[in-house]
Amino acid sequence: MSTFIKDYIDREVITRRKLLLAGAAGMATLAVPAVFGRGQARAALTDPAIAWSYRDRASAYWNAVVSGGEAFVESIGRSKSDMVNLISEGSSEKSLSDIKAFLSKTGGNCAIACDPNDSPNARPIVEAVQAAGGYISTIWNKTDDLHPWDFGDNYVSHMTWSDEQPSEQTARILFEAMGGKGGVVHLGGIAANNPAVERLAGLQNALKDFPDIELLDAQPADWDTTKAAELMSSFLTRYGDRITGVHCAADNIAYGVIEALRAEGITDMPIVAYDGNPEAVKLVMDGQLLATVFTNPYWGGGISAALAYHAAIGTFKPSEEPHEHREFYGPTVLITQKDAAEFKAQYLDATPEYDWTDFWGPSNGQIQYR
Amino acid sequence: MKMKLTRENIIRWAPALVLLGLVVLFAAINPAFLSQRNLARIALASTPPMMVALGVTFIIVMGSIDLSMEGAVSLCAVLFCLMFLKLGGSLGAGAWLAIPAILLCGAFFGWLTGMVHVRLQIPSFMASLAMGFVGTGAAVLVTGGDIVRIDDDVFRALLTWRILGFPLMVHIAALLVLLAWFIQNHTTLGRNFYAVGGGEELAHASGVNVHRVRLAGFALAGVFYAVAAIFQVARLGQAESVTGANLMFVAITSVVVGGVALWGGIGGVLNAVVGVLIVNVIGNGMVVIGLPNYLQDGLLGVLVIVAVVLSTDRRLVSFAK
Repeated sequence: MSTFIKDYIDREVITRRKLLLAGAAGMATLAVPAVFGRGQARAALTDPAIAWSYRDRASAYWNAVVSGGEAFVESIGRSKSDMVNLISEGSSEKSLSDIKAFLSKTGGNCAIACDPNDSPNARPIVEAVQAAGGYISTIWNKTDDLHPWDFGDNYVSHMTWSDEQPSEQTARILFEAMGGKGGVVHLGGIAANNPAVERLAGLQNALKDFPDIELLDAQPADWDTTKAAELMSSFLTRYGDRITGVHCAADNIAYGVIEALRAEGITDMPIVAYDGNPEAVKLVMDGQLLATVFTNPYWGGGISAALAYHAAIGTFKPSEEPHEHREFYGPTVLITQKDAAEFKAQYLDATPEYDWTDFWGPSNGQIQYR
Repeated sequence: MKMKLTRENIIRWAPALVLLGLVVLFAAINPAFLSQRNLARIALASTPPMMVALGVTFIIVMGSIDLSMEGAVSLCAVLFCLMFLKLGGSLGAGAWLAIPAILLCGAFFGWLTGMVHVRLQIPSFMASLAMGFVGTGAAVLVTGGDIVRIDDDVFRALLTWRILGFPLMVHIAALLVLLAWFIQNHTTLGRNFYAVGGGEELAHASGVNVHRVRLAGFALAGVFYAVAAIFQVARLGQAESVTGANLMFVAITSVVVGGVALWGGIGGVLNAVVGVLIVNVIGNGMVVIGLPNYLQDGLLGVLVIVAVVLSTDRRLVSFAK
């Protein structure tokens, strides 16, 4: 056993050394183009390499984002494999180092779409891209004090999604189905997650207009189906028949809620969800859910790559665009029982053809900071 | 036979007393906790982790550890759903074949974990953790990140059909607890688990084929993980690559809280059962008494420590590692 540990430590020490050396070498190669590249006002790039930097492809959400990116790349006459996948696996460090490696490989002749993984990571990424003369569009994560217009043309745009408004709309649909009175419970995401905070805030906004509806309880179900089922059944013990409606922060949570109710023989509870996953859309069509919200990750993935690419080749000059074209909200589509079938036909059964040069058409206004 | 109030007896019954204490505490604050429907809810929530805990108890009794349950359950759940749909999508239409098939898959997966541990001489901790990742990865691979749903009313009767107020799968789980108890106490294999856990070299010297016992233990645990996967699908009507998430924490905590010693040879199936009930009673009770959610995680941790302190005899241990 002790030799196992000793061998292990020896091996780890060696790999750590290798890593440090490799890191030093990487920094050196990065510094070289930066020294020569700085100050050169490159107007436009020709035939830039395209990359998408994201968490991983295992979830339906990121799969849709990346598929959109690939669709854009094919639309400009290249093949899918010409889009480089930089997979961060949820690590900000890996996200940054992969992008730096891509910049030095292409010498800055590149267009990158990226989710920086967490907010503070956006700044070093954008600075590295600007120093190398590349172009980048980000989605989801950046700090509030970081703005594309402070970086000239190289930081093309940032897109995020505001969940408060759509969540308020689903709450209103729920309250109307409840007849404007009764008790509602909210099952949320991981408490500190921004979307979880916004989706609860949306519910609370709607409550102000419905004085006869009481928010009985709001607790995190951690975006998890199993946890949601257990939480819902505990709510049933605590509140029993007082619960006449359920507001869920995600489709995954709603699946657990529906099953917890099914176990009790309750099939007519009004429930709303969020995310617009295909299964949830089917549940809306079957009448088991009242509504869900679709954020069109496919379009988001395609248009982020398109914005970076077209800025890079000079189709438009980002610094001449107004602020609402550089920081904007992505689209949200409310799916209710009226339009679920139409939505399914349009978005799920067929992939819509997008005009990847209509950069801001489906977007949803300039980002507001509170 | 009169039971004496000795130290051993107190420790043996401590987990049950902890469970009783918690039930009394929660019921005192909110009497609805003791309603039959709530007890059924706790039993239902306990069913899948119970199966995982039974499986891992055999491994822990051997003095090894198995952390592959999340990957194993996810993979089994996903494969079960896919097979079920392929075989007609209804229990009556031949899809029942998916049940024995997935039990075999579970046994194979467990056996494979055992082979990695025994043949490649990798500590069970690392071997099983790695195999867990392999399982989750394989589940992602076959589903591509999508959800697989089962809408068969006959199969879902495991959840919806109630006997004496409890869902069918709770009754089946109770039978499987009896089966696990029988394996532990009345089969050579069960006794050999204790022999290996109590002292591997001694067991070897007494003619026990330690490698074979270990492989059989991991395969048996795999079968229980497969059962957990079936229950999980029956409860949620769907499977995806994260179906097994959280089961590792719940199962290991339960087993330890129930009084099974992580160093092997001590405790057994009934401890695991009490442990799972303790963890699920805490989870349900905290919501039922209306504890604010920001206190729940902290309190769960404290209660787990208290339960372990009360229910394991740490005087036998020279040091904790």
